[in-house]
Amino acid sequence: MSAEFVFATAQYESGDWDSAPLVPPNIIDTIARYTEISVAPTGIIVPLSDDRMLRYPLLYMTGHLPVRFSEAERRNVKRFVERGGLLFVDDHNHDIDGTFHKTAVEEITRSVGALTDLPNDHPLYAAFFKFDGPPTTSHELNGWGDNLVHKHLLAIQRNGRIAVLYSSKDYSSEWNYHPDSKRFMSVDNTRFAVNLVVYALTA
Amino acid sequence: MPSRRSRFELACRIGAFALLGWMLGSSVIPTSGRRLERATAAGVGAKLAAWTRLPPGVVLHGDFSTSPDAGSVDWLSALKRSGHVVAWSGTPPAVAMSAEAMSDPNGAVRVDVAAPGGSTVLVRDDASVIDSVRVTQFGASVVSPIVVGGIVGRVGSQRFSAAAPDSARIGAVLVAGSASWEGKFIVSALEERGWPVIARFSVAPNVDVMQGASSVLDTARVAAVILLDSVGAETMGPSIEKFVRSGGGLVLAGSSSLAPVTTALAPGKLGTRIRPAELPKDTIRLGSTGFYPVSVLKQDGVALERRADGIAIAARRVAAGRVIQVGYDDSWRWRMAGGDGSERAHREWWSRVVASVAYVHGAAATPGAGTDPAPVARLVDRLGPSRDGVLPIQSRPPIDKRILITLIMILLIAEWGSRRWRGLR
Repeated sequence: MSAEFVFATAQYESGDWDSAPLVPPNIIDTIARYTEISVAPTGIIVPLSDDRMLRYPLLYMTGHLPVRFSEAERRNVKRFVERGGLLFVDDHNHDIDGTFHKTAVEEITRSVGALTDLPNDHPLYAAFFKFDGPPTTSHELNGWGDNLVHKHLLAIQRNGRIAVLYSSKDYSSEWNYHPDSKRFMSVDNTRFAVNLVVYALTA
Repeated sequence: MPSRRSRFELACRIGAFALLGWMLGSSVIPTSGRRLERATAAGVGAKLAAWTRLPPGVVLHGDFSTSPDAGSVDWLSALKRSGHVVAWSGTPPAVAMSAEAMSDPNGAVRVDVAAPGGSTVLVRDDASVIDSVRVTQFGASVVSPIVVGGIVGRVGSQRFSAAAPDSARIGAVLVAGSASWEGKFIVSALEERGWPVIARFSVAPNVDVMQGASSVLDTARVAAVILLDSVGAETMGPSIEKFVRSGGGLVLAGSSSLAPVTTALAPGKLGTRIRPAELPKDTIRLGSTGFYPVSVLKQDGVALERRADGIAIAARRVAAGRVIQVGYDDSWRWRMAGGDGSERAHREWWSRVVASVAYVHGAAATPGAGTDPAPVARLVDRLGPSRDGVLPIQSRPPIDKRILITLIMILLIAEWGSRRWRGLR
């Protein structure tokens, strides 16, 4: 086991957990590009039902389809949060009427607790780059999904720290491209991922 | 030539008058031998006033199965200094007690007791019983989150006591190093345990993430520093040595003692990181994923934890400060992926590590009036050692005067009877 940061994607038994396969390498590229954080060059996929998910304190979870946790998954998510892990869940549908949003929120509420709005002046938004709130995505601005620009992310906090971060903004679509394509962008749209990782590692 | 009976009558008269004369003389003239006054620990207090009025030649002797109270010992000591012969015998249990405020944000007090091996010590404060402990070879300790009034220990009927210390004032813990899970979870553990924490994590060139107030390295504000790696060590620079020498605590975690700025402070030299041949497949325990061993201890370094692969934890004093070298660099895995209760165990473990070196304001108790932390030591100090079997005088009790009078009566009756037998008046 090395001491470097490993970006981990959560695999769950229901739904399409692997709907954004390019997000992990893109975020790893971003971390290596902007920070000195020692980061593993490749991410890892870890089943939520496996106790080894506890070895990765930042877990990324996404999908389009309904989320129904098994008993083992529910138990592990609860332990993960209680021990200080941060679960980042992103709705790949960008649709608050969609099945992922409804079922994922239900499962999170059942396993950990109720999600509430995260204030836009939360330290997460200043952990590395400065943001006035959650950065918008092209899917939001183009009116896809629920046709809403979500002003807040949702979160569950424990002991003053974010334990579960929930996004309806569809970062999974926004960041799901090959890192080499960043050179064509005027502004790197994955910068918020740096904040997420730095916050997870330092808060 | 007087008859045999006349000689008998004469002897009886001489004997009776001699005894009378001796009784008369002993009541008027002091005996040439020393008089002995004795008392037990429980009764000596009541006799002290009377003993003070006795002539200096009288031997005052204590039969002490327990040590008398401190006031009585002081009084006996004063009598001894004023010319009385004061001695004692017996084997009261050698006991001692000290109380110290722990460097713990929850304000706990540790009571250390020394007593004969195998004995049971009951420790209580003014409110209630705190605990009872069985003393092993090296004494015993009791930790109480709160103490009301004074602390009293009891071994059998031997009582001893100590003053409760004031609560320790705890400074902040500064955690510095690269942004990592280890740093994050050390900070979490300490904060959850109540320690004020200042964190400084390096995330990019010239970019540090700060948490908590500005960290001036001063024992008035900072109790201990935890350096996570060489980045943290270099961030502190030479100020860390000044901080330690002035009493601050330093925890050199992981590879931080490889940094040149800390090598002079470290208890030993770090070796190459040990990695287990096979990684644990299920729950993770502290050290089961490897550690940096202390390969060479300095002369004044002390190994605190040895594992099969080497020394995992070592410590030493540097001037007024204390330094502990912790070879573990991924204790967070123990917290996250350990068995049930590992989160709490990780929290308590790191709190103890920090407490072992942290600078504490006013931790020691000031001796309180009326306390007697080491009564037997006080007894020996004031009156000298026990004099079992070497009493300064014969301890034979004086002859009862009723026996003497009876003897005189027998002699006189015998003399009178003999005379009457002979027909004389």
